[in-house]
Amino acid sequence: MTNVVVSDGADAVAPARMSPRDLAAEAVAGIFARPGRTVLTVLGTVLGIGALVATLGVAKTAGNQIVGRFDELAATSVVVTNERGFFFGGGDVRIQIPSDAEDRLLRLNGVTAVGAMGPVDVGGALVRSVPIPDPLAQTEFQMSVYGATPGLLGATRGALSTGRWFDWGHSERADRVAVLGTGSAQRLNVTRVDQQPVVFIGDEAFVVIGILDSVRRQPELLNAVILPEGTAREVYGYMSAATVQIEVEIGAASLIAEQASIALSPDEPSLLRVQKPPEPADLRRDVEGDVNALFLVLGGVSLLVGAIGIANVTLVSVLERVGEIGLRRALGAARRHVAGQFLMESTAMGLVGGIIGASMGVLLVVAISATRTWTPVLDPWVPLTAPLVGAMTGLVAGLYPALRAASLEPVEALRSG
Amino acid sequence: MTVEAPVVELREVSRTFAAGDVSVPALRDASMSIDRGEYVAVIGPSGSGKSTMLNLIGLLDRPTSGSYILEGIDTSTLNEGQRAGLRSRRIGFVFQSFHLLAHRSVIENVLLSTIYNGMARPDRVPAAEAALVEVGLAHRMDFLPTKLSGGERQRVAIARALVTRPAILLADEPTGNLDSATGGAVLDLFDELRAQGLTLVVVTHDTEVSEHADRAIHLRDGRIEVES
Repeated sequence: MTNVVVSDGADAVAPARMSPRDLAAEAVAGIFARPGRTVLTVLGTVLGIGALVATLGVAKTAGNQIVGRFDELAATSVVVTNERGFFFGGGDVRIQIPSDAEDRLLRLNGVTAVGAMGPVDVGGALVRSVPIPDPLAQTEFQMSVYGATPGLLGATRGALSTGRWFDWGHSERADRVAVLGTGSAQRLNVTRVDQQPVVFIGDEAFVVIGILDSVRRQPELLNAVILPEGTAREVYGYMSAATVQIEVEIGAASLIAEQASIALSPDEPSLLRVQKPPEPADLRRDVEGDVNALFLVLGGVSLLVGAIGIANVTLVSVLERVGEIGLRRALGAARRHVAGQFLMESTAMGLVGGIIGASMGVLLVVAISATRTWTPVLDPWVPLTAPLVGAMTGLVAGLYPALRAASLEPVEALRSG
Repeated sequence: MTVEAPVVELREVSRTFAAGDVSVPALRDASMSIDRGEYVAVIGPSGSGKSTMLNLIGLLDRPTSGSYILEGIDTSTLNEGQRAGLRSRRIGFVFQSFHLLAHRSVIENVLLSTIYNGMARPDRVPAAEAALVEVGLAHRMDFLPTKLSGGERQRVAIARALVTRPAILLADEPTGNLDSATGGAVLDLFDELRAQGLTLVVVTHDTEVSEHADRAIHLRDGRIEVES
């Protein structure tokens, strides 16, 4: 018997080919064959990706917002105290804060205001505003008395309702003057200072020169009698301030916190305790970390559920389309073409879910920010990466169904379809 | 001068299926050949190996032993990708249950053949339209298969098989799901195609179908009994 090759040589046995464009077209057609089911399938990925994007966005936005709020007051405040509690297992060791604390600290670059203050031991003397006790009303009060430096008003961002704050002149001359906090002025019935009212601490008289209306820091001053440091030293033997309130420029807090204790106590800086605000960067990281850890897990779980949904639907779709798979094999599709088509379908579903989810996540961040009047902040890579994550989810979810589809024998598939 | 080789040549082809520990021979030492332009019916009772022979000829299945030469190419030396390539270019299938995609229009179903065939994109729609004209469905191109009668559906399936201009058309009980009138129309179409020189192999147990063929191969218990 003679065999003559009538077909055209090597091309006759060329393997099956399918262009990527045809593959994509077949995958899209497969998705749109059952639009309702596709929408439900994609929903899982939409929720997962949406949750992830919204979580990252809200965390970033909230982190920025909190830092913005702290900047106002706390981030500019450094407080130095000499309270060290028990030391060497024994007595209460305190070191003195020098009386020129203001000069020493104002020299530091970044310090805008300094004030020192400390409780004055008045030996239990009561405070009254009239020299003669009235038997019908309480006129004597136990009040805290503070010695303060002139800079304290600025350093606490205090405001006077009337009169004036004392200056270095009052302090150095040890003038018998006092400023009342608004609470103590009320109890002592002092409302105006233009007639130079006098308060008595025990038997010592002080002329009230001003009433402190409000402070943003060290609020205990509002219920106290405040004396110039020099006056307190002269009359009561006041030794040293206990607290130094420093106001710094934004961003200088960490630096000043390191320098302040050395400036105040060069020989033993470790005996001073310095309170500084948390670093903005640390704070933002903490907030983002807290929010992220919780919600990223939730987002990841929804994404996993979405992936299982895609895997499930794609598998059902493969089982339903056994006949179609057999037909495609008969028409010349190789196994990899069948696998490619189902992989492409699941990947496209994941991609579409990722795009919709990213969009909804961004909208959610904007909506949440709008209700709180926050500025929405989102890393640009988040909405750009999200669709890719969705596509990857679809790809992974489609692996098993695609392998099942490719492993079908065409003869069996055609018979059962 | 070259001698025209047969389109299909089976040489002592056997196909055995393993069912658990028992092996069931579906086709035993079948040898036959089909020349270009022949219209051959394969007939026999159910279980006689008709479909197994058709699947082997259509490269959907491999013989357990023996060799199958398609247009001079020994198919036993080919890998899966090459066999798929041959199917896409040289073989057209028509099934008893049509196997049309319900969500695609008539012309889209016909175009399905062209995407695995390597046909150039601009040639595809004209080829599909020509195939549909050939089977008399020029007026139904944009219909969904669900809107068509059984006979029309089978003609869509024939157009899908013809669009790639295969060397051989394989039909497995093409009239099995049709009434005698529409089945007759399909057989008339086969006659026309044969007159145009197409090689046809039709598996059937219907004697009316086999009467249209040039000759019939009778199978019984996996053996070729008579060639008439």
